[in-house]
Amino acid sequence: MKMPTMSGAGPAAAARRSTELGLVILAVILAAGGYVLTALAKGATLPADLAPFAAGAAGLALAAHVAVRRFAPRADGTLLGLAVVLNGIGFVVIARLDHNLARYQTLWTAVGVAAFVATLAAVKRIRDLERYRYTFALLGIGSLLIPAVPGIGQEINGARLWVHLGPLNFQPGEAAKVTLVIFLAAYLVEKRELLSTPTWRVGPVMLPDPKHFAPLLLAWGSSILVMVREKDLGSSLLFFAVFLAMLYMATARVSYVGIGAAMFAVGATLAYHAFGHVRERVTTWVNPWPTAQGHSFQLVQALFAFGSGGFAGTGLGLGSPGKIPNAATDFVFAAIGEELGLLGTTAVLLLYLLLIGVGFRIALRADQPFLKLLAAGLTTILGVQTFIILGGVTRLIPLTGITMPFVSYGGSSLLANFVILALLLRISDEVARRSDAGELHLPPPTDTGTAR
Amino acid sequence: MPEAILTILKFCFLGLLYLFLARVVRAVYRELSPDRPAPATANGAARFGRGGGRRSDQPARPFKLKMIDPATAQIFPLGEEVTIGRAPGCSVPLADDTYVSQLHARIYVRDGKPFVEDLGSTNGTFLNKDRLSKTMPLHRGDKLQIGQTVLEIVQ
Repeated sequence: MKMPTMSGAGPAAAARRSTELGLVILAVILAAGGYVLTALAKGATLPADLAPFAAGAAGLALAAHVAVRRFAPRADGTLLGLAVVLNGIGFVVIARLDHNLARYQTLWTAVGVAAFVATLAAVKRIRDLERYRYTFALLGIGSLLIPAVPGIGQEINGARLWVHLGPLNFQPGEAAKVTLVIFLAAYLVEKRELLSTPTWRVGPVMLPDPKHFAPLLLAWGSSILVMVREKDLGSSLLFFAVFLAMLYMATARVSYVGIGAAMFAVGATLAYHAFGHVRERVTTWVNPWPTAQGHSFQLVQALFAFGSGGFAGTGLGLGSPGKIPNAATDFVFAAIGEELGLLGTTAVLLLYLLLIGVGFRIALRADQPFLKLLAAGLTTILGVQTFIILGGVTRLIPLTGITMPFVSYGGSSLLANFVILALLLRISDEVARRSDAGELHLPPPTDTGTAR
Repeated sequence: MPEAILTILKFCFLGLLYLFLARVVRAVYRELSPDRPAPATANGAARFGRGGGRRSDQPARPFKLKMIDPATAQIFPLGEEVTIGRAPGCSVPLADDTYVSQLHARIYVRDGKPFVEDLGSTNGTFLNKDRLSKTMPLHRGDKLQIGQTVLEIVQ
């Protein structure tokens, strides 16, 4: 396979790209190996569709790699490999659970990779996104509102967050994650100083001028309100956490975290008293056993799955993760826990840790406040989302349904995550381009307000 | 298929997964190592080809900031970037000098050379008695006055 040349990208870029190619190939081998193992456990023969599966996986992964070579040659070399291996493990587990879902997941992965390539090709400079901040805010709030529209919106499992268009089902809330973070990053960079100088006294605390704060509260409040109306607790938790994290990173003021935590406590208490389904989540978290055959059936089955997996798991295809309802989406981690055990789940956790660490490193290295905040915000989405679902499945925190990035079955989520990945790579490429070129006569813009 | 073989294959799969992790960690480590402030920095940068951004011709000893007035002789190493100011988050915090702004100035190293930049401070930053109006390169022996504090660039 002939790789597109990288005109003058330098040896550092070439090293990163060959690292990436190596990781991507290893990831595809891992996925194919897992697929073969599953089939071997069920019967003694190799899976009949091994060749098309391996070719498809390799094709998609290499397409993404070639796109990075072509459009972001200096970008970080580990992110894509990490995403591919998570996606591959997820696919193996999904295929093992439900062949029908696996077919759709193949399709969605292809769409995700296409979106990844399109994002890299379309977003030439991250700064261009900054100019459309209010468009992104409107897009975000708009896509959060769509599922509430009667006729298009659809309620699945008690949460109204799907949109039904012809044969397609998707969750526009996933797109809102990305666009709202772009808006927040741009807005916070612009108003950072105003937001970090308190001028408005309320009792003993000093708060920033409400004038600068209002649009933020509006964006945040409407997203939370919509989420609560659509009964999607996981996403409202995610939005809130990302909002707070970005506010803190932009202003370096601990008081926002304090106020945010207080607001969260009030909101959580209100939700607990107002909504039956919230109360149910908390009771099954505190003690799932009395309702093991009822409300907490799913959670209890997940706990059994982890337990029967033990240290090294039953082996792919040899457990019975099919007993867990929604094992392919929210509970995919339990399925991994049963068949690959503590060793497998630890490896998955480490993969996420590295993914998020690399994301934050891109943010730290970024030389412009908007790039810094955007990279940190996008990484926070991935991190918080992983924490919420893994904590929920393992009974560390009350369970709120949300997808496991790159692993769970789910088209919109996969699509959004691939776009996040593309944006992170774009930021990393842009920063490396400037620092490799050694623009020492143009000092980077000051970004002293950013928390570091 | 016998169970023993499946178990062996399972461990092979898990081993491959950890091999992948190890390779990612190695790649991250290689990216990070040229950044470490050590005498090997210049060699490391050349070997890993980090590009012109950090390459320096002489294996320069890192620059440091020395506090002269008040004469505490405190030494601050100059990393990639240091901020000077009264805010507690600054790398060189000057909490006791009331003539210093919260975020007064910053010094950053590009291509092995330090530069100083005033961050819009109220009372200004003085490089060898001249008030800074733009970013200036720093040399060994230069004196920076920030508020009532004087810092010297040493190597």
